[in-house]
Amino acid sequence: MNRDITFGQYYPADSFVHKMDPRVKLILVVAFIVAVFLVKSLFSYIAITIFVIVGILGSHVPIKSILKSVRGIIFVVLLTAILNVFFYSGGERVLVHWWKITITVESLLFALRMALRLIFLVLGTTLLTLTTTPMNLTDGMESLMAPLKLIRFPIHDVAIIMSIALRFIPILMEEVNKIMLAQKARGADFESGGLMKRARALLPVLIPLFVSAFRRADELALALDARCYNATPHRTKYKVLKLGWRDAAGAFYSALLIFAVVAINASFWGLFGFSLSV
Amino acid sequence: MSIIELNNVSFDYQSGEDLSRGVKNINLKIEKGKFIVLLGHNGSGKSTLAKLLNGFLIPDEGDVIVNGIHTKDTKRIYDIRAKVGMVFQNPDNQMVASIIEDDLAFGPENLGVPREEIQKRVDWALEAVNMNEYRYGTPYKLSGGQKQRIAIAAILAMLPEILILDESTAMLDPKGRAEVMETAKRLNRDNNMTVILITHYMDEAIDADEVIVLNDGEIAIQGTPKEVFRETEIIKEAGLELPVSTQVALLLQKAGHPVPLVLHDEELVEAVCRLK
Ligand SMILES: Nc1ncnc2c1ncn2[C@@H]1O[C@H](COP(=O)(O)OP(=O)(O)O)[C@@H](O)[C@H]1O
Ligand SMILES: [Mg+2]
Repeated sequence: MNRDITFGQYYPADSFVHKMDPRVKLILVVAFIVAVFLVKSLFSYIAITIFVIVGILGSHVPIKSILKSVRGIIFVVLLTAILNVFFYSGGERVLVHWWKITITVESLLFALRMALRLIFLVLGTTLLTLTTTPMNLTDGMESLMAPLKLIRFPIHDVAIIMSIALRFIPILMEEVNKIMLAQKARGADFESGGLMKRARALLPVLIPLFVSAFRRADELALALDARCYNATPHRTKYKVLKLGWRDAAGAFYSALLIFAVVAINASFWGLFGFSLSV
Repeated sequence: MSIIELNNVSFDYQSGEDLSRGVKNINLKIEKGKFIVLLGHNGSGKSTLAKLLNGFLIPDEGDVIVNGIHTKDTKRIYDIRAKVGMVFQNPDNQMVASIIEDDLAFGPENLGVPREEIQKRVDWALEAVNMNEYRYGTPYKLSGGQKQRIAIAAILAMLPEILILDESTAMLDPKGRAEVMETAKRLNRDNNMTVILITHYMDEAIDADEVIVLNDGEIAIQGTPKEVFRETEIIKEAGLELPVSTQVALLLQKAGHPVPLVLHDEELVEAVCRLK
């Protein structure tokens, strides 16, 4: 269980996507998100679908684990889709007209497109977290933020904070479990009653948790000093991220996707998807 | 020359108007390569003394000199910290990274050690605490003793000359305690590491080169284990408890049996067998 929390969603495997540099993956995910917002026509949706499928195949992550993340947002997707259908204004081909509500073909298509976008967003980001450990992601972010050093932004401290947070999440979770068990043994009841009652029942958990967290923080602060934290501004880095051929290939492939999406949107192919374009 | 020298050192904690005694009039010389055990009950000033040794605290009066460097010399404070490594009580609160080798690298990184050199140090430190196979693992599944050995390795990676273990065995189970003790003794023996082990368990002091007992911030007695353990009145006053075998030997002496003062269980067995 601890391992699960530390590694977040990470699915250990030895795949092409796993071996890519976390920095490249981060950039690609951002590019992917932009691409998802650019898609308009049927063909660009097809292009993006192919991209996602190739990504999933290249990650060796079972399709089930990936779909699990989609299942988590299915409610949000349906809700936005329904709202979109009802509140979409415009559109000519009316399907249903009842009282103040009008459902047109265009509104249905619009809702479908938005739903697909949301699903793509989740698929893309999930693929990142499934194939990259949180530690690698932090390293990647630290490295990408390097230019901020110029404006004296303390990236290094931020990276240490992230690392320590990752390190202590499982420890504090375990502590919450222990405290809850101890309070239950004393007759505390966390499950019944209304929202207020349950919130109040958590107070005897939160207070010891905070006390313990501060005590830990005290010792951790000493330990950081004992390890000569801030001894020199010329800190070295043990883990260096290296770009490889996979990163070049992945970047090239993604550039191709964005190019395709933009080109399809702009070309008559986009018009071809007449009934699907905005 | 002593590796650490304390001349008439006093330190009080000040919070607002209140002063609370930390340590008082400490004179101490610690020789290189020695295994020193610092004993004392809760609040006797052990941690205060330890923090004076690596410059966490600067004495109100007197001088602390480490390797010829004065702890008051703020410009060289990190030279001292890297030389005087300190391990604390709870191993969970001393690890900053979720992967063991990253945690070991943290100290050397802070000191600006080049990458290749860090690699070597991580190798060596893991070897020194016998934890090589855990290098790429996380600390979560380790036992208390294993975690504390990692905490020791993380300090070793800075190549200290003195290793201070501030009650690092206090929250471990007997097996974990034994592992940490064994590691400390091995480092002292094989790597000529000066070890200062802080504890309130007297049985951890029986193999020490020198034992120092603190009481109310002052040195109550200092000497070899035999010299110190003999002074039962002082030990009692300092709120400590002799190891069981020593207590038995003393009781036998009281009952008129010719038993020498023993520290180890095996010594006691031998002495008792020789009685008839
Ligand atoms: N940060 C502090 N502020 C005020 N008093 C302290 C502080 N730390 C320790 N003391 C006091 O100093 C004395 C010695 O404490 P300490 O060195 O931690 O003892 P030990 O490590 O032997 O348990 C105690 O009486 C304690 O209350
Ligand atoms: Mg203490």
